[in-house]
Amino acid sequence: MSESRSRSGPAPVRRLNPRWLVLAGAVLLVLAFPTLAHGDYRLYLGTQVAIYLLVAMGLNLLSGYAGQPSLCHGALLAVGAYVTAIAMTDHGWSFWPAAAAGMALTAAAGALIALPAFRVSAWYFALITLAFADVVGGMLVEWGGLTHSFAGVVGIPMPELSGHALSPAELFWLVAALDIACFLMIANLIRGRFGRGFAALRDNEAAARASGISMIGLKMFAFVVSAAITGLAGAFYAVQKTVITPDDFTPDTSIFFLVVVVLGGSGRLWGPLIGTLAFFVVPELLTSLQSWRLLIYGVVLLALMLFAPHGLEGAFRAGWRRLVRSGGTTRPAAVTEAVRPTLDDDDQAAGMAVSIAGLVKRFGGVTALDHVTLRIEAGSVHAIVGPNGSGKTTLLNMICGFFRPDEGAIRLDQTDIVGRATARIARLGVGRTFQTPKLLADLSATANVMLGAYAAERASTVEVALWAPRAAREHALLAAKARYFLGFVGLGDRVGEPAGELPHSQQRLAEIARALMGRPRLLLLDEPAAGLSLSEIDRLGALIRSIAGLGVTVVIVEHHLDLVADICRHVTVLDRGRVLAEGTPDSVFRDPAVVSAYMGVRPVAEAQVPA
Amino acid sequence: MTARLQIEAVDVGYGHVGVLERVSLDIPAGAIVALVGSNGAGKSTLLRAVSGLLKPSRGRILLDGADIAGWRPDRIVDAGVLHVAEGRRLFRQQSVGDNLELGLYGSRLDRAGQTARYRLVFELFPILAERRQSRAGVLSGGQQQMLAIGQALMRDPRVLMLDEPSLGLAPIIVDQVLDVIVRLRAAGTTIVLVEQMVERALEIADYAYVLQNGRVAGHGPAAELATSDLVRNAYIGAGHG
Amino acid sequence: MDLDIIPSGLAAGSLYALVAVGFNILYRPTNVFNFAQGDLVMLGAMISASAIAAGLPWLAALLAAAALVGVIGLAENFLAVAPIVRRSSASHAWIISTLAYSLIIDNLVGHVWGPDPIRVDPPWPFSVTSFMIGGVRTSSYQLALIALTGLMILGIEQFYRTRAGRAVRAVAEDRDAALLRGIDPDRLSRWSFFLGAGFAAMTGLLASPTMYASTQLGPSLLVKGFEAAAVGGIGNNRGALVAGWILGLAEALGGSVLSPGYQAASTFALLLAILLIQPRGLFGQPEARSV
Repeated sequence: MSESRSRSGPAPVRRLNPRWLVLAGAVLLVLAFPTLAHGDYRLYLGTQVAIYLLVAMGLNLLSGYAGQPSLCHGALLAVGAYVTAIAMTDHGWSFWPAAAAGMALTAAAGALIALPAFRVSAWYFALITLAFADVVGGMLVEWGGLTHSFAGVVGIPMPELSGHALSPAELFWLVAALDIACFLMIANLIRGRFGRGFAALRDNEAAARASGISMIGLKMFAFVVSAAITGLAGAFYAVQKTVITPDDFTPDTSIFFLVVVVLGGSGRLWGPLIGTLAFFVVPELLTSLQSWRLLIYGVVLLALMLFAPHGLEGAFRAGWRRLVRSGGTTRPAAVTEAVRPTLDDDDQAAGMAVSIAGLVKRFGGVTALDHVTLRIEAGSVHAIVGPNGSGKTTLLNMICGFFRPDEGAIRLDQTDIVGRATARIARLGVGRTFQTPKLLADLSATANVMLGAYAAERASTVEVALWAPRAAREHALLAAKARYFLGFVGLGDRVGEPAGELPHSQQRLAEIARALMGRPRLLLLDEPAAGLSLSEIDRLGALIRSIAGLGVTVVIVEHHLDLVADICRHVTVLDRGRVLAEGTPDSVFRDPAVVSAYMGVRPVAEAQVPA
Repeated sequence: MTARLQIEAVDVGYGHVGVLERVSLDIPAGAIVALVGSNGAGKSTLLRAVSGLLKPSRGRILLDGADIAGWRPDRIVDAGVLHVAEGRRLFRQQSVGDNLELGLYGSRLDRAGQTARYRLVFELFPILAERRQSRAGVLSGGQQQMLAIGQALMRDPRVLMLDEPSLGLAPIIVDQVLDVIVRLRAAGTTIVLVEQMVERALEIADYAYVLQNGRVAGHGPAAELATSDLVRNAYIGAGHG
Repeated sequence: MDLDIIPSGLAAGSLYALVAVGFNILYRPTNVFNFAQGDLVMLGAMISASAIAAGLPWLAALLAAAALVGVIGLAENFLAVAPIVRRSSASHAWIISTLAYSLIIDNLVGHVWGPDPIRVDPPWPFSVTSFMIGGVRTSSYQLALIALTGLMILGIEQFYRTRAGRAVRAVAEDRDAALLRGIDPDRLSRWSFFLGAGFAAMTGLLASPTMYASTQLGPSLLVKGFEAAAVGGIGNNRGALVAGWILGLAEALGGSVLSPGYQAASTFALLLAILLIQPRGLFGQPEARSV
């Protein structure tokens, strides 16, 4: 696919992007705040809000987007603050290298607690973070030589810039600027492939692995970035307070940040800002009801989980949507496309051959595959059929690496893939769909399809974070491609729809589009026709034929034998984990052994096989 | 003990996706009724609705005249309707004996009655007595299927619903399982049989219903359906074989 | 090295194991790991300590605390778990909601009882007065606690061999299959919350003679109990016992060789090391295959 054929449509009317308006407004507000604040205390409070907002954004990245709830962000804040403070007071460093060291060490701590999280589930991780916070709390006291124990680190100086110490207003501006930068960075990361990757990590690991996403790398990324942002906040926390003691970082601090994120809307871009402001708009709450603080946190959290799981941001949006809907206006789904890719010669794929030899897979006492040997020619459409429970899906799961065979070999072209991780196999050019579509319900159809190109994206992390021209171009191109493939499978009018709201049959088609995004050389389709109407099956047949026309090898597990006969030249029949017959559809479906396996006729001789 | 099961104009769906539409079946007491149709026709969904895992959005399910639609699954089990789900859903970490013991959960049988149930199951499936101490997860596929049926039999079902009992089993094992089904009918149990091996199912069934795309496409005495194109088309589509 | 750490480590470890067992009782049928468990233990300690201070005999105080905390556990299921699990059984929203419940208990208990720890004497004939045996310093209560914990865990394992106990395991393994055999998972969940909370209350009382009854008990036992449950394998009570003892010894060792401040760090390091090698813990069962 290329941009070369993009047609020059009517020149788009240039309108000011509302995003720039919001940004300009934010900058103005930040600039004016020290004047508006009328007094040191409010300015101090404003700076504190800005620091807390950094932590909340870091936590939201990890807990909200990546789905790994952390109860140690208070402790991470402590690491950043203490490292900065100790380096500045006891070792005479200037603020900037001290803050960098604080960030680096906090990020390292984040990486440490991330290690077990690769192999355990989210709640396990939450408790590990709790235990970690406990340890940090203990060490702040224990390492008195370094931290001065309960006395804390005192006399932390203001950061200096070219010889003069920052004024409180300048400190506020600096932190607020970092808030804006961090907000934009997270917005860019989420808009780019990381947002899609995180959603897959959180809601559907199988889909993520089949799309070639390395879970370990992505999780580690979320931990380290989240911890680094928190460490940076810690550096400013130290210089703002000028004194830090272990009492500043109790377990309640971590819980406070979690409350802020959940209150604002976890996994929502504006959630941390709304949550932080909500807490400071009612500052009275924090002072006169100090002793009931935990109770209030608890009741607020519980009420949110019960009645507004997406926080204030989610509740606001839901209310807004209801308002808009009742007004009868719906947003047009169609998007004018600047880039309109079409199929090109360079989209021709060299199909991949599959050879399977002596494959055995047992589950407990049940042998699901029993010495299956099978060859699938490059560029062919090959069906695997057989009664329920004959091992068809197990075979697909072995080819794409979800299961490891007990015996036997699987080669894709010349590459032996036994024992390779699913994500690595996917990156060789193996795409697949699932019996029950595994889409990310909250993401748009387009974003779901774009997930399929995850491993192929070239823009670096930094480029995505800055939304550099290359990242923006790639994003636009991939979005256009995704819309193109959605059109290709017949969903051109559903591009903006959340995938969860598509009917079942369309979810199947969207999965095919997602698999195509990865430019597969081998496409595995698991019962694509299940639950489709007859006319939809006809269209599916045509679609599979045009996919094969691109040169892709297609392996299809299917019960609709009409469809199989229509599109395949090769059929393998499995029965109870063994290959029962092979050949063209005509010969195979006439084979008495196959008919009897399907229909459960008694031994062949007795069976009446209608012609 | 036996009972008649009537399903009257039932609609069932998952979320807002409808699967069954106005499905009506009449299953006479003490009969084997086969339920056939291709994958995705809605056979398993129907069984799940009868056993209470799904709530019909419309229609009635009558067990000897009492409407059980929407009851909780444990209450339906108490009423004597047992469902052996597809795929040998056993408690694989627990032993064969423990699995059978779990079949008695909620049973009001006295000790002698319970012993009688064990005796019956071990008589029908002697291999289960032999492997009583083994973990269910290490049994062969056929033995697991026998255990799944045996577990349901511990509650002395009035209606026994079997979903694909032959799934993945060797022919000789299928014979044994079907044999047991016939013997259960002789003892008066009403049987609903969902089976991929249509011809085998129709051999032993008294009556059959064909489901297609969530509706009843036809029904009749099993012997008549066995020779009709209706069933064949429902499975491998028109034009082959 | 100081051999005194052996009985004291084992006694502390026994308490961690008991907290872990409380987690497991709840986890088995519900797949929910109760973040309020530590506070239920603490609440049990406070209630029974007050009851004993008011002159109630030990056993009566124990039963009263277990019943009261049991009801509070039941309320937790009703308020913070059942509605959330019903909405989506796959989500982990219960992490936040059970944590929220724990904050509420923690704060309320703080207001009712205040920050001062309450001393609880062990029941007759035991005492915390230490004596020497074979060159090791211990107390009769320490020894009784270790023995009692072992016995209780064996007893609980016996319960899981009864029909009701097997039903709990069945629900954990395959909820739908259990439903089809007439087992009502919601009813088992309610019972588990009641009994798990009651068990937590008993743990709190048993902890009081050595650790004092105070609001500080909750958070620290939550973490230690989790560590024992994770190291032993979630859901495995005998594993929890062994893991509790290992952690208790490691903590005592870290405290005596390095300094008392290293207690939390030594168990955390052990937890990380074990989870890196064996993510399902020392005695954890592999997850059932999903097809």
